[in-house]
Amino acid sequence: MPSREGLDAVSASFEVEALASLDSLYRTALRLTRVPADAEDLVQETYLKAFRAADQFEPGTNLRAWLFTILHNTARNRVRDRARDSVVIDSEAVERAAEVAAFPGATSSPAPETPESLLLRDTLAPELQAAINALPDAFRQAVWLRDVEEFSYAEIARMLDIPVGTVMSRISRGRHLLYEQLHHLRPVNA
Amino acid sequence: MPNCTFIDPLVTPYVDGELPAADRDLVAEHVRVCAPCHSRVAAEQAVRTLIHARKTAFTATCAPESLRAKCRGVARLKPSRDVDVNDVARRRPAGAGADPRVSGATAVTWRARLAPFALAASLVLVVGGAFVYQITDKSARVMAAELTADHVKCFAMNRVLDTHEGATAVESSMISGFGWQMHLPDEPARAGLELVGARPCLYGEGKIAHIMYRHQGRPVSLYMLPNASRSRELVEVLGHQAAIWCVGNRTFVLISREPKREVEQMASFVQASLR
Repeated sequence: MPSREGLDAVSASFEVEALASLDSLYRTALRLTRVPADAEDLVQETYLKAFRAADQFEPGTNLRAWLFTILHNTARNRVRDRARDSVVIDSEAVERAAEVAAFPGATSSPAPETPESLLLRDTLAPELQAAINALPDAFRQAVWLRDVEEFSYAEIARMLDIPVGTVMSRISRGRHLLYEQLHHLRPVNA
Repeated sequence: MPNCTFIDPLVTPYVDGELPAADRDLVAEHVRVCAPCHSRVAAEQAVRTLIHARKTAFTATCAPESLRAKCRGVARLKPSRDVDVNDVARRRPAGAGADPRVSGATAVTWRARLAPFALAASLVLVVGGAFVYQITDKSARVMAAELTADHVKCFAMNRVLDTHEGATAVESSMISGFGWQMHLPDEPARAGLELVGARPCLYGEGKIAHIMYRHQGRPVSLYMLPNASRSRELVEVLGHQAAIWCVGNRTFVLISREPKREVEQMASFVQASLR
């Protein structure tokens, strides 16, 4: 049995480390719920579950990723409780879009001489935020977790409960949708 | 020379720098000679670079202080102390390392005590969710039963979280959540009521306001259903009394286990003083 001091030290560090992820959990919850009150509720429930299940966390693994997994599981359960049918339809549509849409490639991609990075470098943060918010849920989550929260494919797969290959295809599709949306914005704003 | 189909699943990990050297070279070689794949890689790379460059704008949003405080409160319940969930409301100081009852065994005991409660709460949530989405305007009794399930669930959560909100916080959440410019009763103590807080709950396919009180320590819920009209009545359901009334296009339901007469008095007080 661990000593009392040892147990306390582990618990205290667990608490501190877990609460250090509060801001990023809240930001991600906001992307999921889009309503601040719901995001707060979701984060609070996430911490409740995390502290209750603290003994299930494997020391040495990524605590932040573990918290994000709980957050997404909780959000999924809530959505499932709210509207089971729409969840099914949504995920089917997402997979179909990811498979069928493939990538515009030769047809709708900009010409190779287009200086994409220069063009996009002019994109302001609010435009980018709006474009990300406008993405379908599945693509928004994947891009957000990868490019903003910087999780690995495997961690995201666990959070979203989908295969790693699907994670990559959603990130890819999400980035291309963003590119198309922002690219089309340029002439209008120019 | 690999073709585009072979390269396709490698593009995203290539852009993310996640490919082993051999695969990376394959993709790089293909992209050099294939314009469409070059465009794909360039577009994906550009968006990735852009998001990274603008990341500070995304990470500027911080959790509200009130949420931070609530989560710290949850942390105090972590299973490293001999905490009885029924004692949480008393906010016993943690007393780090000074509590002789703290041990590995007590941590297990704490969890064992919480487990049935958690299960019960989950069941209420599931049953509540199932009910709530199937039924809209069927009957006052059904509506009262759904809201009673929610009332029990929310107070169970509140007992664990031990959160309290003042009238100003509740009023501002009613404005932001429901566009409801309201003013809570000024002196709830006159009716033996103490404000606990507010939550957005679910009914039908929408959202309803849930304001929680305690009447001499016992849970009382006041629900406001926007855009709903119902006749005034008092319903007994699931061992609770539900007083229903309507003002304009808002329906109010007050739920409590208190005796019928007490519930009627509380409902009259709230109706008269809620503005």
